[in-house]
Amino acid sequence: MPSDPALLGTVQDVNGATISVSLEAQTLSGLAFIGGTGYRIGQIGSFVRIPMGFMDLFGVVSQVGAGAVPLKLVPESPGGNRWMTVQLVGEGQAGKEFERGISQYPTVGDQVFLVTEHDLARVYGRPNSPNFVRVGHVSSAEAIPALVDVTRLVTRHAAVLGATGAGKSTTVAALLAAISDMQRYPSARVLLLDVHGEYASALGDRAAVFRVNPDADSAQKPLRIPYWAMSFDELLSVTFGALDDQPRGAVLERISELKLESLKSYPRSGVSQDNLTVDSPVPFSIHRLWFEFHRAMYATHTVAGGQSEKTEALLMDSSGNPVERGDALKVIPPRYQPHTQASPRIYLSQSPLNFRRQLDALASRLRDPRFDFLFRPRPWLPDLDGNVEQDLDTLLESWIGGPQSITILDLSGVPISVLNSLVGVLLRIIYDALFWARNVSEGGRQRPLLIVLEEAHAYISQDQPGGAGQAVRRIVKEGRKYGIGALVVSQRPAEIDATILSQCGTLFAMRLSNSADRAHVTGAVTDNLEGLLAMLPVLRTGEAIILGEAVRLPVRTQLEPPPPNRRPDSADPLVYDDEGPGGWNRKRERSNYKEVVTIWRKQDPASPSVVRSDSRPKSS
Amino acid sequence: MNRVPVTSSNLVSVGYDPQNSTLEIEFSGGSIYQYFDVPQGVYDELLASSSHGQFFSAQIKGNYRFAKL
Repeated sequence: MPSDPALLGTVQDVNGATISVSLEAQTLSGLAFIGGTGYRIGQIGSFVRIPMGFMDLFGVVSQVGAGAVPLKLVPESPGGNRWMTVQLVGEGQAGKEFERGISQYPTVGDQVFLVTEHDLARVYGRPNSPNFVRVGHVSSAEAIPALVDVTRLVTRHAAVLGATGAGKSTTVAALLAAISDMQRYPSARVLLLDVHGEYASALGDRAAVFRVNPDADSAQKPLRIPYWAMSFDELLSVTFGALDDQPRGAVLERISELKLESLKSYPRSGVSQDNLTVDSPVPFSIHRLWFEFHRAMYATHTVAGGQSEKTEALLMDSSGNPVERGDALKVIPPRYQPHTQASPRIYLSQSPLNFRRQLDALASRLRDPRFDFLFRPRPWLPDLDGNVEQDLDTLLESWIGGPQSITILDLSGVPISVLNSLVGVLLRIIYDALFWARNVSEGGRQRPLLIVLEEAHAYISQDQPGGAGQAVRRIVKEGRKYGIGALVVSQRPAEIDATILSQCGTLFAMRLSNSADRAHVTGAVTDNLEGLLAMLPVLRTGEAIILGEAVRLPVRTQLEPPPPNRRPDSADPLVYDDEGPGGWNRKRERSNYKEVVTIWRKQDPASPSVVRSDSRPKSS
Repeated sequence: MNRVPVTSSNLVSVGYDPQNSTLEIEFSGGSIYQYFDVPQGVYDELLASSSHGQFFSAQIKGNYRFAKL
């Protein structure tokens, strides 16, 4: 018998940070009892300790058995397959804390020990440190909390990756619940981009929810994104689309003029006529822009040369009044007399501009009520002369300066054609604001912001050029310096831009079966821990391997799901439901498809029949 | 709407709004549903039945329209 039951074997081969260990003949049973607790020997992903005088080296078991026998020894040890491969990850001096990286190597003959709960506590330790939040417990030892370093999680960015149903949304909810604890972090600041509208129910009482079509009964607030806060290129992508050089120049010039005019009438602090550019977030009326271009291109005139507004040939009714003068804000074009050769001659517009198709596309968007959040963003809707009721400060304050630490931007009502551009704009507005304000108390450096990008593959996929990818790339590359962190959540890591994923310092890798997705995760990992990641397909639901900056060691974690009322609305529908109300196995109640259509038209999943205790009954 | 707790394997609490004939049920998973146009008598029977879960499956489930809150 070995003198110490924790003894596993001896080091036989050292190759960089990879060492081969031959197991003791006695450690055959696979189970060791130390201090009354049973430990499984040679579990992939479990830890080992190698004492080196005053120092302990720690490593992770990555391979066990015949495959771990060093190649040279294969002929000499027939049947001898009690070997394991260990990846060294860090060290800890006696009585001191564990640290990543190693200062010395073990050598042949050094003894390798099991890591007991006592050692593990030393490695993962410090549950009381205010910098760490608990997300669950170490899979192999329930008593040891899995702690995540908030500072590194936020500043070095993170990604939650896992197949559908592996527990991503629950992980995010658990993480946010921990971060939004008002006792610990009263000034925490989290912005969640919720593409499917899942989180409002889980975090509703801790979060301000913004929606394009807010539910009138609830506390949801309207999501408004003023078009004039966009840069010129962003604005083009959601209005005209692609433009040729000449019309592009004309539009750019006109927007600059309108912004300048607006600035002259309504000065805004921070921007003057000298530093105004076409990208400056200064209000101007896009309705006026449309109206002017429309008149320039569509108007007919009474003269061929020297055309002006006065020479326009408006269509008149019998009493001599114009049939329709047009209305810029209502996007109604004026009606003109048809072009004719007969006397009195009516001439076509001489304007050299010709982008009628794109201009009509803009008009139809301006009229489309689905785009009202963008083009009629009351109270940030500019008048024709560029006056607005409220400036961007109130918008920013409502998004990232509210009394609650979490803000959910529910994008489920946003037309899919502009989702990408819109996410890009949102992120850029926030990034710019926090970037320039980095030194004041509300700025990014003093009050960092964590941006949660739920279902990120929907708008930052590799083959999708657009504003969103650009904005997220900027955040993950430079956000660290300005206190803007990203938490990317996706079920398709292979579809996400590789630059973005490689910048995520912390990974919550959950169950992933698709080999392309797994390869993407393995490739993004800095440590040489393929052995640990090989278990990705066999992780249980709610289990994650957390690795990277925010944890001291890669740790296989059983995440603690939040209580049922704090879980996002993303559980699978039940086809056969024994306990609950739905399912295929129930009788059919009377249906009401009128309600279905009402809800569809309203674009809000809440049923109008629901009786809310905090409001008046719908019908009586 | 005020719900009263019930002892059952799948129902946690039930409540009733007589004005709108709406029955509200909290299930053990934490989700809350409202059933519409449920007569007061059905609610009283639900409360009085020896097994709330069985009564729910037999008399309410599949008989009344509902919506998840």
